[in-house]
Amino acid sequence: MKKTLIYFASFFAVLGIVFTILPLGTIALLPVAIALIFAFLSFKFSISKRKKISGVILIISALTLLVVVGKEVFIKDEVVLDKQFEEKKIESKQEDIKDLEGL
Amino acid sequence: MKKGLIILSLLSSFGLCFSQIKPNERLVYAASYNMSGLMTHIAQVTMQTETVKTTKKSYLHLSWEAATFSKWDSFFKIRDLYESYVDPATLKPSLYKRSIFEGGYKITEKYIFSADNKTINSTVKVMNRPETKKTFAIGSGSQDIISMVYKLRTLDLNVLKSGQSKSFVIVFDRKEYPVSVKMLGRETVSAGNLGKKDCFKMSISAKTNKLKGTDKNLIWLTSDAKRIPVLVRFSIPVGTGQLVLSSASGI
Repeated sequence: MKKTLIYFASFFAVLGIVFTILPLGTIALLPVAIALIFAFLSFKFSISKRKKISGVILIISALTLLVVVGKEVFIKDEVVLDKQFEEKKIESKQEDIKDLEGL
Repeated sequence: MKKGLIILSLLSSFGLCFSQIKPNERLVYAASYNMSGLMTHIAQVTMQTETVKTTKKSYLHLSWEAATFSKWDSFFKIRDLYESYVDPATLKPSLYKRSIFEGGYKITEKYIFSADNKTINSTVKVMNRPETKKTFAIGSGSQDIISMVYKLRTLDLNVLKSGQSKSFVIVFDRKEYPVSVKMLGRETVSAGNLGKKDCFKMSISAKTNKLKGTDKNLIWLTSDAKRIPVLVRFSIPVGTGQLVLSSASGI
């Protein structure tokens, strides 16, 4: 049972890190929160040998949580200027005017 | 005095009910997609209007542009552009274009409406396949999806009671689809830099498998003369999402 808790905590901690790297925003909070719960439970009920592993997972999950929250607070959603797209729009407009002239 | 009041009420009713779409209007939205129950910001949608002049005529160029936020570009880049050139007074379309780039999938579509609005000369190109041209007949009131939304904004919505609808016919993927827009009532909605606004809440339904559910595709238009779309909620086969107005200028 205690081992299972550690396995689950590890799995969700890894999933949390992957979700944090991907641009999934607050969705990353789900695996991170689950990892924190499992890591906390395993830390509480484990014998001293396994407490170390649970503690490490707990710290990693807490740090991941900080990164997710930090990304949400400090990184703004923005669209980069896409030169290729802008040029395409200009060309397209010139072509449209030609089509409209023909009507 | 009485005459003055009648004229005033007539003027105000025309002003409020039959608003014109102005050029240089720019509406910016944050598009979110529902992932595991959480709305995730994925793209920015910009709706713009501008005047385009040819030697013969002046047109109103309506455009919708969708671009993923930079954080998504490496994973699933979207650069979609929908355009319609319409008559500024009637909003009757002359030219409609769709350019889709979604995670590597490309499609370009061009519809040229005939002067009598009875046929469309279409050109479609999907990925690297050869371009296909086809002329097909349409009903006299048929229009593209963009001009339909702008047309909706110019209608007298004050006369619609809850449950009453307005009907349109749109042309999409070389087919005509009847579209119904049903009035659901009024709600106060947050409208970006415009603050909180009283809005008409309307449900859009079409006989197509591209939209799902009953009253799941909703649009909120401000109840003032500008009829700004401030919130759009959609339900499509691959999930649900929403467009939230973040800024409006030139209105």
